[in-house]
Amino acid sequence: MIKCLLRKSVFLASVFVVVFLLYNGNVFTQGLDKEISLEENIPTKEGLTVKYIAADLDGADLALGQADPFKVELQIQDLTFPNGGGSVQEVSIRGFHNGETIFFGIKWSDDSKNDRAIAHAQFRDAVGLMFPLETVKVISPEKPFSPRMGDRGKPVNIWHWKADWEKELSVAGGKEHMEDEYPNMFTDFDFNPNPIGFHSESYESASLMAGGISAGSLLSLGNRGSSVEDLNAVGFGTLTSQEHQDVKGKGSWSNGKWDVVIYRPMTTPDENDVQFVPGMSTFLNTAVWNGIEGDRNGQKSISLRWRPLKIENVK
Amino acid sequence: MALVHNWHLGRTMEYPYFESRPEHQFAAVFNINRCIACQTCTMAHKSTWTYSKGQEYMWWNNVETKPYGGYPQHWDHKILQLLWDNGNNPMEWYTSAEDKDETKAPYGLYNGDTIFELARTKELNQVAVGYIPDDKEWRFPNIYEDTAASEKTNYETGPAAESSELPEHKRWFFYLQRLCNHCTYPACLAACPRKAIYKRKEDGIVLIDQKRCRGYRKCVEQCPYKKPMYRGETRMSEKCIGCYPRVEGKDPITKGRRMEARCMAACVGKIRLNGLLTGDYKKPDPKNPMDWLIHIHKVALPLYPQFGTEPNIYYIPPRWAPRSYLRQMFGPGVDEALDKYASPSRTLMAVLQLFRTTQTMLSRFEIEDGEKIYESEIMGKKVEVYNDTVIGFASDGTEMVRVKVEEPTWESDEKRMITY
Repeated sequence: MIKCLLRKSVFLASVFVVVFLLYNGNVFTQGLDKEISLEENIPTKEGLTVKYIAADLDGADLALGQADPFKVELQIQDLTFPNGGGSVQEVSIRGFHNGETIFFGIKWSDDSKNDRAIAHAQFRDAVGLMFPLETVKVISPEKPFSPRMGDRGKPVNIWHWKADWEKELSVAGGKEHMEDEYPNMFTDFDFNPNPIGFHSESYESASLMAGGISAGSLLSLGNRGSSVEDLNAVGFGTLTSQEHQDVKGKGSWSNGKWDVVIYRPMTTPDENDVQFVPGMSTFLNTAVWNGIEGDRNGQKSISLRWRPLKIENVK
Repeated sequence: MALVHNWHLGRTMEYPYFESRPEHQFAAVFNINRCIACQTCTMAHKSTWTYSKGQEYMWWNNVETKPYGGYPQHWDHKILQLLWDNGNNPMEWYTSAEDKDETKAPYGLYNGDTIFELARTKELNQVAVGYIPDDKEWRFPNIYEDTAASEKTNYETGPAAESSELPEHKRWFFYLQRLCNHCTYPACLAACPRKAIYKRKEDGIVLIDQKRCRGYRKCVEQCPYKKPMYRGETRMSEKCIGCYPRVEGKDPITKGRRMEARCMAACVGKIRLNGLLTGDYKKPDPKNPMDWLIHIHKVALPLYPQFGTEPNIYYIPPRWAPRSYLRQMFGPGVDEALDKYASPSRTLMAVLQLFRTTQTMLSRFEIEDGEKIYESEIMGKKVEVYNDTVIGFASDGTEMVRVKVEEPTWESDEKRMITY
């Protein structure tokens, strides 16, 4: 009898310890991500309406001027490590479409133009737009859709405009090199001072040793033809560049303001792209990276809650 | 955070991932006493891996002069300074017999915070405390070469002979050979928000996946040893790859057997022994030269164990440097290691002969007894030297090397000498 009780109490105590440890989260949680709160799954009431305006890229600035600006407040990203951002408080987004192409005009204040990421502690300015990949009618605590870069089974499509990519569009060779940041450096590989037999093996193997270039990463390659990267994600740390890059953009900085236009055909044959149909509605989220503050990855200013996005019918 | 055991600290510590040790661990033992800072290792590395554009400043292997030198400049002072915080003391160890354990806590118990724990204590919203060195700090890889430290000026110290007496020289410096430590708990791996950095199960080598890297430089920021480096040309970070094709036995010279890394095999001063540690630190193999030197004889020590990453490059500390400085750098195991090195045992004398005798990684050694050749007294201890033969075997059991403690010499017959 006593033995049985003893056994039971030992069992119960161990259950209690396990439950405590699980609840405590110190031993059995791997990774650093906190739980997403319920409130984050409630989209804002106000949203962005993408107007129908019969204009093309040349008239985009004019057309965007006719669209109503939608102000989105940004906040620090404080959920997953590394945390950061918060230096940009607000972006204004306008949108229009002409039945074929959808345009987003994004403006935000940034006193410093950071359009290079070559030196060790040099980071770029950037802006991202995020859409649920599939059409989502409702997002609510009952029907959650993580505003934090999507979730497993709930992929997002992210359009990421980068200030250095924008600059590299107009640079010879489509890419800035080390000597653009360090003009007085000596480099073995752009010219060959002793053409016959001099270090020929290392000269020829240079492309093999080119890390990201040989891995085919868009970040390392030049001549991208676009300043916007087309990406997918299913949660933190899963951001992946697409095989087919369909998004384009243009941006300029003046008087402490970035003015960026991101555009894409409304529909694409790529199954990893969000598709826009006139009359539909979906959701939008945005984030801004401020290079001078060392913003990159999760260190960014985010809109957090989904914003409803409505695409006007063709008139 | 998960709780993992770090045997360098003799305790469990916080780390973002579960404890998952590789089957074997890439490791090396560097005998600082022998290094002449010829930088052959540095150049072997450079000409093999980092001769391309954007890698000009990169020295995955470097040799710096301590205490003043450092690449990037002041890297260790800066990390130690970050660790001194709010009563956190990166020098606080319990070293009584009851705090020690033969395998789990051989140096005692570290009571301060690691880089991971301090980041939590300070609520830094980062995985670890750290910083990104700027261009200026990377610029001079061998700054303060051969610059000695001294408490007193030359005039005050008096004759040179007086300032260079063991056990501690009054004027001193030593060379520190550095490369990626392929840590058991890498801070770079923990810091990467994309999990682009991974530690290989087969040999514990830590690599950055160039397809997944997006150049965020969190690894550069949070590796306390500052060995991941950003390559501006590709907008991505790169690091020492442990010459993994050689470790895998892909180089035809060793006929498919595991081969030492380039910087190890090029060592002129024979200070380096590169090999694989047994994955389970609790069951070291007494016949494996790496296990024997590190786990069993404890003559080789980790670099800055208090950082908490369980680094896997081990050092036999320099005999002449101040013990307090060495304890800060290699932990409280310094005194035991130096005692053992100053008056070496018969086995240590034999194993030390294996350093740089073959390019093949040795996984087993045997000793054949020889006659006594020398006897002396060093620092009050009797030292006997036997001309034993040490035999090194590759992992497939093939004998790779056979050397004697006394190097064979040969004198020419006087008749062969011709004078005019």
